This record gives sequence, C-alpha cells and structure tokens, in this order.
Amino acid sequence: MNPSVASRTLRTVGAWVVVGIFFFPIYYWTSVAFKHGNAIFSRPPNLFNFTPTFDNFQKVFGISFGTGGVTVTPGGGNFYMAPRIWDSIVVATLSTLLAVVVATLAAYALSRIKFRGRHEFVNWVLSTRMMPPVAVAVPMFFIYKQFGLIDTFTGMVLIHGLMNLPLAVLLMKSFFDDIPVEIDESAIVDGASRFMIFRRIVLPMAKGGIAATAVLCFIFSWTEFLFALTLTTTSLKTVPVVSSTFVTSIGTAWGNMAALGAASIIPAFIFILLVQKHLVRGLTMGSLKQ
Amino acid sequence: MRVAQVKRFVVSDHPLPWLLPLVAILLVFTVYPLIYNIWLSFHEYVPRKRALEYVGTQNWVQLWNDARFWQSLTITFIYFAVALAFELVLGMAIALLLDNDGFGFGFLRGVLTMTLVIPPAIAGMMFLLMQDPQFGVISYFLQWIGLLDPARPILATASTALAGVLLPEIWQWTPFMVLIFLAGLRALPREPYEAAMIDGASSLQIFRRITLPMMAKVIAIAVLIRGIDLFRVFDYVFVMTSGGPGTSTYTLSLYAWQQTFSFVKWGYGATLSLVTLAIILAVASLFIKVAKVRW
Repeated sequence: MNPSVASRTLRTVGAWVVVGIFFFPIYYWTSVAFKHGNAIFSRPPNLFNFTPTFDNFQKVFGISFGTGGVTVTPGGGNFYMAPRIWDSIVVATLSTLLAVVVATLAAYALSRIKFRGRHEFVNWVLSTRMMPPVAVAVPMFFIYKQFGLIDTFTGMVLIHGLMNLPLAVLLMKSFFDDIPVEIDESAIVDGASRFMIFRRIVLPMAKGGIAATAVLCFIFSWTEFLFALTLTTTSLKTVPVVSSTFVTSIGTAWGNMAALGAASIIPAFIFILLVQKHLVRGLTMGSLKQ
Repeated sequence: MRVAQVKRFVVSDHPLPWLLPLVAILLVFTVYPLIYNIWLSFHEYVPRKRALEYVGTQNWVQLWNDARFWQSLTITFIYFAVALAFELVLGMAIALLLDNDGFGFGFLRGVLTMTLVIPPAIAGMMFLLMQDPQFGVISYFLQWIGLLDPARPILATASTALAGVLLPEIWQWTPFMVLIFLAGLRALPREPYEAAMIDGASSLQIFRRITLPMMAKVIAIAVLIRGIDLFRVFDYVFVMTSGGPGTSTYTLSLYAWQQTFSFVKWGYGATLSLVTLAIILAVASLFIKVAKVRW
C-alpha cells in the first residue's frame, strides 16, 4: 500500500470515528425512546440488544403502531405532550413570520438607502443580540403580567420574534447586498417607486435568503428555553420547557422524555438540511458566505 | 406638508418608514428593559409591604461585597474560557479532517449539523442521563477505564460538576465551529498552498503560516458569536445542576434568574443581569474593534 492510499484511508476512518462520537448521544437518546423502563436502567448500559417498544411514543403522543397500522388516540395524563408540540409549532411559526417581515423591510433600507449613521445603526442592532436573555426576561415578566400576556401566544410570539430580529436583519441585509444595486437604479429610472422595486424585483430575487432566514429563526424559537420558562406558566408550554415535567418525585421518566426529545429533533433537522447552502452564513449572522 | 411630499416621504428614499417597525420593537423589548433594569437596580422588593422600595445604591454595594457574585463571575469566566478553547481547537481539527471531497464526507458534514437543532435544555437532559452514576453510559465507561470513582458522581461532586455541564456544551457547539471553519477553509485560494508544497514546507508549517493567518477573520467571527452566547449560559446549568452541588456551577445568568424568581430579590437580580450585560458589551465591543470585525 503506498503512503497516499494509507493516509487517505486513515483520514476516512478518522472522519467516521469522530462523527460517530458526535452522533453517539443522539443514537443513545433515540434508543432510550424505544426502550422499556428496565432496559433503560440496565447495567452495563444496553446499547443495541433490546426489544424496541413504542410505549413511550404512545404515552407521549397517543400514537400506537400495531398490526392494524398506525392509530392515534389522544390520551390524557401529565405526559401527553402532543399539545405542547402544537404550542411550539405555533410560537415558532408566528414569531418567525414577525421577525422575517420586520427584518426584511429594515434590511432592505440598510442595504440600499444611504443615510447618516447607517453603520452605527447596524452596530446598534447587533448590540441588542448581546443582551443576556435574563436581562430582558425580568422586565418583560413584569410588563407581561400587567398586560395579561403571561402564558399567551401573543407574548411568546413577540419575545421570540424580538430575539431573532438582530440575526434576521443582519442576515437579510447580507442577502440584499448580494443583489446588484444596478437593478434598483434602472427600475428607478423607469419610474418605479422604492416600494414597488422592493416588492416586484428585490423580494423575489431574495427568496432563497428569506427561506434560510426563516428556517434559522424557526429553529432558534424551537430550541429557546429561558424566555419560555419565565413567561409561561400552565396553559402554554414549549417543548424545551416541558422536558422537566418528566422529572418527578418518584423518578424521571427517561423513556418518555427521550421520545419527546427525539421527535422534536427530526422536523428541525429536516428543515436545516433544506437550507444547508446558506447555513454557515446564517450561523454567522450574514458575515460569512459559504 | 403637501400630499406629494407625504407620498415621497412614505415610499421614497427616506429610511424611516422601512426601519420604523424594527426600531419600535427594539425600543420596547431592549431599550425599555434596559432602563427598567437600571431603575430596578436602585429598588428592592419588600415582601412585608408587597411593594418596591427605593434603596439607593444598596444593591450595588451588596454586589461588590457579595462573595457569591464574584464566585459566579469566576465560574462563568471558566465556563466561557474552557468551552471556547475546546470548541475552537476541536472545531479546527475536525474541520481540517473533514475538508475533503472523498466519498461520504458530505454525509458526515450533514450528520454533524444535527446537534445544532437540539434544544440545549434537552441536550442537557440527554447528558444528565448519560452521566447518571448508576446506569449512565458515560459514567459507566469512565468507571470501566478507571477514571471515575463510582462513589463520586460527576454532577454531584463539586470539583467535577462544571466539567459535567461543559460536556453537552462542547458536544453541541463544536459542530457549529466545524461548519464555520469548513466554509472558511473551502473558500481559501489554492496558490499559496502550491507554492508552499514546492518549497517543501511541512504540514504544520503550512497550517501555522498559511491557513491560520488566512482564516483569521473567520475565526474572529466564530469567537465573537459563540463567545457572546457562552457568557450568557443558562440552559445547561439550569436543567443539569441548578447551580449545585453547593454553588459550584452557579453562572451569572442563573444567579440573576434565581435572585429574581426564587428569592424575590427583584432589585438585586436586575443589578446582576445589568453587570452581565455590561461585561458582554464591553468585551464584545473591544473585540470587534481589535479584531476589526465588520458587518
């Protein structure tokens, strides 16, 4: 075997091992979701040799897989979490909509219209990203209490929308910056107004960027914990917050918790794969292009 | 104002109509909380009267003399530094490893993005289970190779609890660094490498003299974005240890949150979160200047 083949093999093996290590916790967690209670608590830990069960999913989502196909029976009980998935979806979707609409308008102006203090304005938007959530959550808790927004979709949508605004503005600005200004200029010469150019020309050209921004906003809302923990109490709860419900005084229902966790990862993962082309740009708030 | 002027103002070149919704939301949700926190930091809730009372600079004096504040600042800083160091070094190493067009490498890069979509609160729970002293797979492995004393569980021992909390942190966010560095590596020009090969440079020399300097901007951005989030860490400690055992994993955000919501010390909690904000703002602004990061 010549050295280049050897080093290539070594690299491939190394890459699979490293990614395997990172994937292991996800595999393990998913396997817990398919285990009976006793299999979870076995020692040594049981990684592969167990009889899979859908009991956990049945308890958490009311879904059962039997000989008659898939049946859904909405159950009751503390561990029935299907409504919580719905809460998470509504909050994430509406807050994404809010952030993307507001950010797209602002980002267009920041990309196209020259005005004094534009650079400082961008920096100000960036600096709001540095606020620790706890510094926002406490005052918001008191305002929300006053206006009856605790535990409401409106309250959660507003706070998650705000949280995603700096990212959305900076990211959308970078996508608009990619579209040549000459297009706007020639349309202005033809007598089109700013808003018409924005709606008819620039917006359709930035479709891919809007999709990428939306996916990232959705995921950040989907995974957010501190605001959801602080600003909701009983009737509305997102998935990250309810995971602690499974910790009870008689022990932790790990299997049920894992079923909820595993099910909540999959939709977000599919989403993020759809915009993989723009993922790095999104993670760096528009400052790096892939 | 004449109608034509109004129309021109609304749809033309003035940025205000475009920025108005953004400015309104930012004023309500960031400037107001900031002012409210400053006001609150000079008050304290008095349970007996069920009301806030003006206490002057008492909270700030208390902060200065509060050993637990200084301890949580230290813990936050250690958390920040250790996590950032691991994520940077591991991230760069894995990025270099995966920077290849061979069969399967695209798939591996895709698998790595999975950790990024997991809610940190749930990732914390995952590692809580894996570090369980009785049936946790990580604890079992560490006990099996003799690194871990079964009588001293990772998360229940003051000296190792922070390491236990750092584990999900590093696991979840190293792939973030990998993806950013990979994008940077893929965008590098080929010529300097070809020249270095001809000159017979070693791969370590190539990395230090060519790759690292050309990646400086990418690394700076990754450090800035991750660094801001690290300094506000809350989720992992909240679900895994709630600051314990004792006070060994109390971070600033957790301390501020608990002062407000568990101990009803609204004023002191606000003071703590203001300090957290001030530190992040100061360090990040300085970093942006020195590293010349621009948006």
